[in-house]
Amino acid sequence: MLGLEWRQWRSTAWLSASAHLGDSRLFVFDYAIRALRVAVLVSIWTMLIGDDPDSSPLPLPALLTYTIVAEAFAHAIHLQTGLANAFWNGSLVNYFLRPAGVVRQFAAESAGHAVFDFMLFSLPLLLVAACLGIDVVPESLESGLLFGLSLLLSLAVGLAIEFIAGAIAMVSEQPIWLIENVRRALSRLLSGAVLPLAILPFGLGDVLEWLPFAATAWAPLAIYTGIEGGTRLIALQLGWAVVLWPLALGLWHWNREKVVAYGG
Amino acid sequence: MADRIPVGTLRSIVQLVRLLGLYARMDVMWIARARSTAVTFYLAEWVLGFGIVASTWLLAERFDGIGPWSRAQVVFLLGYSLLVRGVVDMLFGWNVAHISRRIGRGQLDHMLLQPVPLWVLVLAEGFSPLSGSGLALSGGVVLWLSGEGLGVFTPALFVLNLLASVAIVIGFSYAWASLAFLAPRAAEEINSSTMDLIDQVRAFPLDGLGPGLLGVLLSVVPIGYVAWLPARSLLGLTDSPWLVWLTPLAAIGIVSIGLSIFGRGMRHYRATGSTRYLALGHRR
Repeated sequence: MLGLEWRQWRSTAWLSASAHLGDSRLFVFDYAIRALRVAVLVSIWTMLIGDDPDSSPLPLPALLTYTIVAEAFAHAIHLQTGLANAFWNGSLVNYFLRPAGVVRQFAAESAGHAVFDFMLFSLPLLLVAACLGIDVVPESLESGLLFGLSLLLSLAVGLAIEFIAGAIAMVSEQPIWLIENVRRALSRLLSGAVLPLAILPFGLGDVLEWLPFAATAWAPLAIYTGIEGGTRLIALQLGWAVVLWPLALGLWHWNREKVVAYGG
Repeated sequence: MADRIPVGTLRSIVQLVRLLGLYARMDVMWIARARSTAVTFYLAEWVLGFGIVASTWLLAERFDGIGPWSRAQVVFLLGYSLLVRGVVDMLFGWNVAHISRRIGRGQLDHMLLQPVPLWVLVLAEGFSPLSGSGLALSGGVVLWLSGEGLGVFTPALFVLNLLASVAIVIGFSYAWASLAFLAPRAAEEINSSTMDLIDQVRAFPLDGLGPGLLGVLLSVVPIGYVAWLPARSLLGLTDSPWLVWLTPLAAIGIVSIGLSIFGRGMRHYRATGSTRYLALGHRR
């Protein structure tokens, strides 16, 4: 049974990755956007901290590593499956008809995209950054191993948030793109994906790191760069995964009949 | 004066005014159809607006400004940036700014079938004074909070720069959208990418970029004109006061290039039509 599920998962991921290449070769444009965003952020960190290292609680090399690794693993820490799109164009019904779990299908599709992106964008980005003198290796071997675990937990929390956002669209009967815009805006700000939480003013970081959004980006990135130890952050991620998954599955179970409202 | 304007153009302008009224009424009906819709919509817009500017604002608070920009000046930049996005949303909503979606989905035919020039529909169909006003209102409030007024020049120059920035966003968007004439499926969402690019970079002071990258952002990918350069010149942070005219001049060039590329796309479209349009209205 597990072998069958793995084959289904792997085939869906492969289809998704190859469709990414076949459907739209303009993904290169998206890569250019991401590279430009990284260049802007790197230049801002250098402008802010380069001349006055004491002005920041985090050293410049750690910030640059944080920025590069955040972009390299953007697929995982800004997890976006095709759920919103499936709501919008009505193809969601197809996911219910296939002989595989709905969550598993979206996760597999997303994994296909992620692997494709990692090979074509993230690896070259890490290489270029390393050539430019930015340290892109983990703080230590232990950090690297804990980062892997933390990234898996980040995916679990991100996927749960994604499905909770989808359920909110169902319950509230509001347009999915409205909910999606809010989720993206909140996630970008509160997760620490753009600005490390440790650098935020007013002690905001101390509060935000307890929220589920921080479990998606801040936790793995802080572990990778050695800004914080892993045990507490991984425990927080685990806690959020345990809390959010029953909530996500429950909301879907109780509201799935409303999905038809979005078909067509 | 009226005798000098060709009758066709005059008729189009009258049609435009009528259509603007019509689309404004429809927009009011759309947003006011339920209280929950209006409340959710405005809340979502404000959260989105805050999300766009918050990172830069927090950085400015943390470091007491960014480079040559004081905290108040950074807030002015953010307000200006939100206002540009808000005006684009108000005047070019409903996928008129994201025109690649209409082209890619075969929905441009809906516009071409109407007995009205395309430019009139482009200026009218996206008019959404209520549903598109969330970010413009936020931008206005943020500008006011900056305490920098409308900059060191006259209000007319502020408005001119604002409209030029809006025109640059649309010109850039339409130039890239023309790819959807050639590759409707692949380029349907190209304007999502162009708008994402603008949204993600617009709110940052670009002073620290090297000359090469800055040159790119002021030419091929003209995001520097969307907020950074006009805000910088309006605040008097540039070496020469004449630079306040640079964004309006750039707007003329970029809109001309955008229109020229879009016109070539339209000529191609006239020969091929849409490969994705079906009689029942769904796309392949």
